[in-house]
Amino acid sequence: MSAVTLPNQPAAPARQSWIQARFGSDFRELLIGAILIAATGLIPDIANSSYWTHAFELVNIFIIASICQNLLLVDAGQTSFGMGAIFGLAGYGAAIANTMHGVSYTWSIVLGLLASLAGGVLFALPALRVQHFYLGFVTLSAAVVLPELAMAFNTYTNGIIGISLQFDEMHKRTIFGMISPLSLVVVVVTIAVLVIHALIHRSLLGRRMRIAAESPEAAQALGVSPGMMRFIAFLVAGVGTGIAGVIYPVIVGFVGPTSFSLDISILFFFAVIVGGRGTLLGPIIGVWILYLLPNILLAEFVNWRLIAYGVAALLIMILMPDGIVGGFNNWRRKKRSAGQRLDLNVAAVLGTQQGAPAEHAPKSDQVLVEVKQGRKTFGKVVAVDNADLVVKVGEIHGLVGANGSGKTSLLNVLSGFSRLDAGSLHVDGVDITRLSPHRIARLGIGRTFQTPRIFGNMSLWENIQIGRDARFSGSKTPIPEASVEMLRQTLGEGSPDWVPHGQRRLLEVMRVALQESKLLLLDEPAAGLSPEERKQFGALLRQLRDQYGKTFVLVEHDLDLVWGVADRITVMDAGRIVASGTPEEVAKDPAVRHMFIESSHA
Amino acid sequence: MIEELGIIFVRGVGLGAIFTLIALSFNVVQSSSGILNFAQGNMFVLGGFIAFMISAQGDPSRLMWFAILPVAGIAIALLLTFQGWVTLLPLRFSTQQNSWIITTMAASTIIGAVMLLLKGPWAQTASAPFEPFNIFGTRTPAPYIMAMIACVVWYVVLRWFLTKTLTGLAISALSQDLEAARAAGLKVRRLQLIAFAISGLVIGTAGYIVAPIISIAADTGIKYVLNGFIASVVGGMGSDIGAMVGGPLVGVLTMFAIYEFGGHFQNVVSLLVLVLVLMFVPEGLFGRARARRV
Amino acid sequence: MLEAKNISAGYGSVPVLRDVDVAVNKGEIVLIVGENGAGKSTLLRTLGGFIKPERGTVTYNGEDVTGQSPEKLVRKGLRLVLDGHRVFPEISVFDNLRLGAAAKPADKAGFDRAVENILTVFPILKEKLRAYARDLSGGQQQMLALGQAFVAQPTVLLCDEPSTGLAQALLPPILTFLKNWAASGTAIIIVEQHIDIALPVADRAMVIERGQVKLSCAASDLKEQLRKLNEGRSTAAV
Repeated sequence: MSAVTLPNQPAAPARQSWIQARFGSDFRELLIGAILIAATGLIPDIANSSYWTHAFELVNIFIIASICQNLLLVDAGQTSFGMGAIFGLAGYGAAIANTMHGVSYTWSIVLGLLASLAGGVLFALPALRVQHFYLGFVTLSAAVVLPELAMAFNTYTNGIIGISLQFDEMHKRTIFGMISPLSLVVVVVTIAVLVIHALIHRSLLGRRMRIAAESPEAAQALGVSPGMMRFIAFLVAGVGTGIAGVIYPVIVGFVGPTSFSLDISILFFFAVIVGGRGTLLGPIIGVWILYLLPNILLAEFVNWRLIAYGVAALLIMILMPDGIVGGFNNWRRKKRSAGQRLDLNVAAVLGTQQGAPAEHAPKSDQVLVEVKQGRKTFGKVVAVDNADLVVKVGEIHGLVGANGSGKTSLLNVLSGFSRLDAGSLHVDGVDITRLSPHRIARLGIGRTFQTPRIFGNMSLWENIQIGRDARFSGSKTPIPEASVEMLRQTLGEGSPDWVPHGQRRLLEVMRVALQESKLLLLDEPAAGLSPEERKQFGALLRQLRDQYGKTFVLVEHDLDLVWGVADRITVMDAGRIVASGTPEEVAKDPAVRHMFIESSHA
Repeated sequence: MIEELGIIFVRGVGLGAIFTLIALSFNVVQSSSGILNFAQGNMFVLGGFIAFMISAQGDPSRLMWFAILPVAGIAIALLLTFQGWVTLLPLRFSTQQNSWIITTMAASTIIGAVMLLLKGPWAQTASAPFEPFNIFGTRTPAPYIMAMIACVVWYVVLRWFLTKTLTGLAISALSQDLEAARAAGLKVRRLQLIAFAISGLVIGTAGYIVAPIISIAADTGIKYVLNGFIASVVGGMGSDIGAMVGGPLVGVLTMFAIYEFGGHFQNVVSLLVLVLVLMFVPEGLFGRARARRV
Repeated sequence: MLEAKNISAGYGSVPVLRDVDVAVNKGEIVLIVGENGAGKSTLLRTLGGFIKPERGTVTYNGEDVTGQSPEKLVRKGLRLVLDGHRVFPEISVFDNLRLGAAAKPADKAGFDRAVENILTVFPILKEKLRAYARDLSGGQQQMLALGQAFVAQPTVLLCDEPSTGLAQALLPPILTFLKNWAASGTAIIIVEQHIDIALPVADRAMVIERGQVKLSCAASDLKEQLRKLNEGRSTAAV
């Protein structure tokens, strides 16, 4: 068992190679994928086997569509059983433009892509309202409807007869006398899509999509609008699938209603599942197993392919839910990191000395947060009852009360997850009573939740990086770059599983601190912390306040912790504010004493 | 004109009765385990398949037809229980609580594929020993009326089962407060499997009864499950009364679309209805406002 | 009868309980108090089979039942009554009681006797026997929830905050009921936030704070022990 602790002195940050920075640990998988695609795409051509050339051209464009499905399903969390319809839209769009209207194929491609883009938008709209199963059903309907529409509008689409096209030049082995232009195009485009997926996955957009998919609330608290993320995901996946769709007519020379049956949508989806959802190589392996095997290698058994899809998907879900590549990755990861632990010495990173008395920043009287006569009801229950709250800049403000006293509701109001029915909320003089949570986050208000929103599908560093991604309002005292760089180096690609619970809390606070929010709302942050960890936590809060001028509102049950760390405390009971002031004042308040006696502190 | 509307209405309600039966079979599983079974459509077609197999031996007598009816129900019930067991299996262990979306889709694919293998892509026909009815001066095939009767019968039976028998009450309890049900020591998994079996009885007999008027083919299952789902959504997911109302509503709308625009547009209209309802009234007419809001 | 040792448990990655020991014997009532978030509910849920402990063992009548599901435990005679007076709202009072006994092997005579008993202790339930549970008040629902547990004739009963949402006047009959129930041989653990509610009927008491056992003593000694403990504290809270 190895433990990694942070040294006290920040070392000079090492420089990363460009590839490391862009792709990190994905690079190896990308390389393997590119080689597999190139080999299967080019070797049959070189060997002059037209059968296998054709087969792998199809396999590779199906891989393109599966990669897009992977992005949509895993990175964006959207269940779509209808990508075959978008594939078909693009194919039909290009074919109709080219043969029935004489448009050059280059421009037909553009039109086909526009059609798939439109398809993506159409899918995105219901995704704003419904998710999971319901969304799956809607997209499934689209996949069923498309072939029927193709038949119905047969004046435009040639109905059941379909549209034939010819691209002889593309199929001739004219490059180096060995490779056809089509093969080359397919290989290049497929690899490009693979690389783009990896780039998106690691980019700001990719991270935002992933957090929106895993926890829409946490995303909003980081200034991300989940609806917008879904919309973008459908657009990107739509166009990507469209790219595959416009190449299809060139390969097959024909487009008809049966080309885009439901089977194709199922193939794209199950290929991701069987291959390994969320992995880069998954779609490749998935398409090989589900398409290549039954259709080509077991050609007499072509009618068995659907059974193969179903049985394979079923078995994988029961035995190896992360798919083949995913299962392999898990096994490797377990071997490597058996018993790995990471001990964070967060205070050191923040550039403060442990144990040294912190400079007590002069108390300011400037008001940061003001709630006036705030009222919030849920049906008949009054959660917040004419509350007035004032939080000053640079203070740690404790918010305490029994369960049901309204403190969590008030916190939800401050962060925008609940809207006041009456009264107003001002932060820094700005009226934010009616703003949505992600807009409020962008004003420089960060929050944590009762259960730590640490994303298991991201590395340790990425979990903190999303805080940096959410820097919307510059802070006058930012955390030094060197400290951030050191954090990145230490945490690196480590898994959140390595960190014990108490320190995950610290991670979350770090993330919020990196957001450079001026106001941090913490919801029962000490839950689950050991007594020692609570001490560390209190120290961290004080340091963040003194060193970086952060303001905190802290909802907590642990009264010892609150009294030890807060500058001012507000006590709530049944939705009302019953006391507010310094810890000493509040402790003496008769209305509050009875609260303590009721608890086991009697 | 009135005659036309009459035909549309009667056939629409008859068609809608089919959707209601599918929706009823959805409800019992959905409310006890939260699972909406994609494979229900193909199970429905399998019920019809059983009727086809009987007809293939020669037109059945009424006695024979009625005798095989429960067999169809039980056969599909057994199959659905097995499918339910397979579907519930990963839910016990993994954190993928949405795995059932994939496994039920996989099951649906497998059943469709088996039918494809056995009979190819062509539709089979079945006959039933009942004369068409004369309504509004036109002949309406008996299965339309029988579907309506089956609807009412199953609704009554389900209501009785879920409110009067101990097992039914236990299944109903799962949908009201799962934790309290666990605390009471109710055997949750077993009850959920019984729910699957019951949904099989409903859907198997439904498919058998309407076999003569449906297309018994490998790819029609998906369309039936879609329409059944739409009926559920319109009526309110989990509500049996909603299913009774949603089905005919969707059925009449669909019939109207077929008459006005032609058969090809049947599913487009359904899709539009689905999207509109989900966007604006996701909890449906009688729903418990628990549709998947985001 | 029921004994738990070194229990460490929580939800997902959040550890709530650390190294907790608790035991209850036949005919005894143990009261567990603690603030919100202290881990009382988590403890009961772990004992009741809803949460599998990371570490530690739960022994019931000498048998190791650690990690067994509520389904199995209820059959063996260990029953948890959840907090929040949870009953089945769309089902009648009588049928709620029937469901309460459904998990145990059929014993019509025993069931009828138990129902008689419950309806005598809580006459309001008799009055509303055919009404839907959703039409009962919170307090009445709590009575029904206890009734559901009673008809299952458990040997160990775990009660999570039975007083929540109840009007003051309703507490004494419920507490007396629990006292009599224990007197007939059942072991009972009651969890409450406030001491004074259930202390009068308890035999032993435990204080849980931040997931650990702070204090464990006879009920009559509790207040004294707490006072001594708090004298040693330096917080301004006291």
